[in-house]
Amino acid sequence: MLRIPGLDRVTSLFILLIVVALTMMTLDLRSSGAGVGGTLRDGTQAVFTPVQQVFGDATRPIVNFFETLSDLTSLRDENEALRTEVADLERALQETESLQSRVEELEQILAVEPPEDLEAVTATVLAIGVSEFDFVRVIDKGRLDGITVDMPVVDEGGLIGRVVSATDTSARVLLITDPTMKVAVRVERTGETGILTGRGGGPLGLEMFNTDAVLLEGDLLVTADGRYPAGLSVARVAQAARAEVGFALRTTAVPTAEITRVDYVKVLVFTRDEGGAAGVEGAEEGGEIEVPTDGVEPAEGETEEGPGDSSTTTTVADNP
Amino acid sequence: MSFRRAGVALLLIVIAVGLQTTLFARLRPFDAAPALVLLTVIAVSRHIPDELAVFYGFLAGLLLDLLSESALGLWALTLSAVAYATVRVKDRIAGDYRLVAPVVFVVSAAALALFALLGTIFGERTLADAALVKKILLPSLYNTVLAVIVLPLAGVLIGRARRTTGWRL
Repeated sequence: MLRIPGLDRVTSLFILLIVVALTMMTLDLRSSGAGVGGTLRDGTQAVFTPVQQVFGDATRPIVNFFETLSDLTSLRDENEALRTEVADLERALQETESLQSRVEELEQILAVEPPEDLEAVTATVLAIGVSEFDFVRVIDKGRLDGITVDMPVVDEGGLIGRVVSATDTSARVLLITDPTMKVAVRVERTGETGILTGRGGGPLGLEMFNTDAVLLEGDLLVTADGRYPAGLSVARVAQAARAEVGFALRTTAVPTAEITRVDYVKVLVFTRDEGGAAGVEGAEEGGEIEVPTDGVEPAEGETEEGPGDSSTTTTVADNP
Repeated sequence: MSFRRAGVALLLIVIAVGLQTTLFARLRPFDAAPALVLLTVIAVSRHIPDELAVFYGFLAGLLLDLLSESALGLWALTLSAVAYATVRVKDRIAGDYRLVAPVVFVVSAAALALFALLGTIFGERTLADAALVKKILLPSLYNTVLAVIVLPLAGVLIGRARRTTGWRL
């Protein structure tokens, strides 16, 4: 056994393992998470997916029990809130028709292409990341269902992330809250563009390209042309902001999707290299979501950093 | 190390990972979950030979690395350090059980802080997490509470395997 002079065997082994780990990190970083590391990750996830399915089924009654307890305590408050919400919705419904015509006018002004139908694959979230610092969801659909790397993933609220790896029967989704994620967005009200950056457990960071832009609290941010189909809801501005002296305009935004409580998601059959993926084999029928498909190149500033980044796009046609 | 003992130790890690990624996906008081694999490494490292413990931490971390988007080796290094710290203090806490809870808390918090720091150095931008302090302190607190169950359980399982076959190095 290797032993460093002056140190005991345990410390020697520990130092050796530190060196091995640092070497692995460096190599993995240089290969951008692809190569041998990527293959090993896919293999491990493929092996572990059935285990996670078993654990998910086995622990569901426990989770349901605790959630029921939690629900009971909040039921009264929720009931009151729902009454108020119904009243608000009735008012909002009356305003919708007039707003609809204004939206159409605005879309023409902003030269937004009319939305096209995109196919979507509905999936169940099997598992979350292995730690609080791992902003990943594992879903139960993979390459056999038409899922490939880079496809956007949404819930009913909006964008939650993108597929970063896929095995035959499962896929990993990197959430927009991951600190390495950046999404090019457009303020729906004004058309100004900027970049949303994940900040882990906190609200998303928003930086506008035009420092003279004015952001109001509640402004809806949608995906701009780029890695994702344009027009998907992403977040709402949490704090109004205006640059005082022309420096960078920064504020925070809250995701419109229920990032922490996602059970079912839809993977949009769309990759930037294909400009929409009409006719990708294996996609489930139904579950279509209307989004425009114009613009398939990454927008300005829209990248992901770190070893998880992969520019590889696997298409269904490449797989058996 | 016999297959049986290795099997028990590895099974504990697989169970910990399984529970971490499924049960604690929705059971998250104050939007945080315990770091169960980290706690399992502490628990098992107390009952196996020192060098095996450090290697065990490395393997457990490697499994986490392969199931996450972090740089390959990041968790391996962190959990090796957890196992190393545990074997260094295990004799002390064996003689004074009042030290177990503080040691679990401090080792857990230090390990998560180390992970965050190394993650940032290796491009993960972990320190940019707006809820960083919460993500270090709450899992460490939950680990301290769960240690009441996990540590004795690991002791029973590993201890039984050791009594049956004995350790060989």
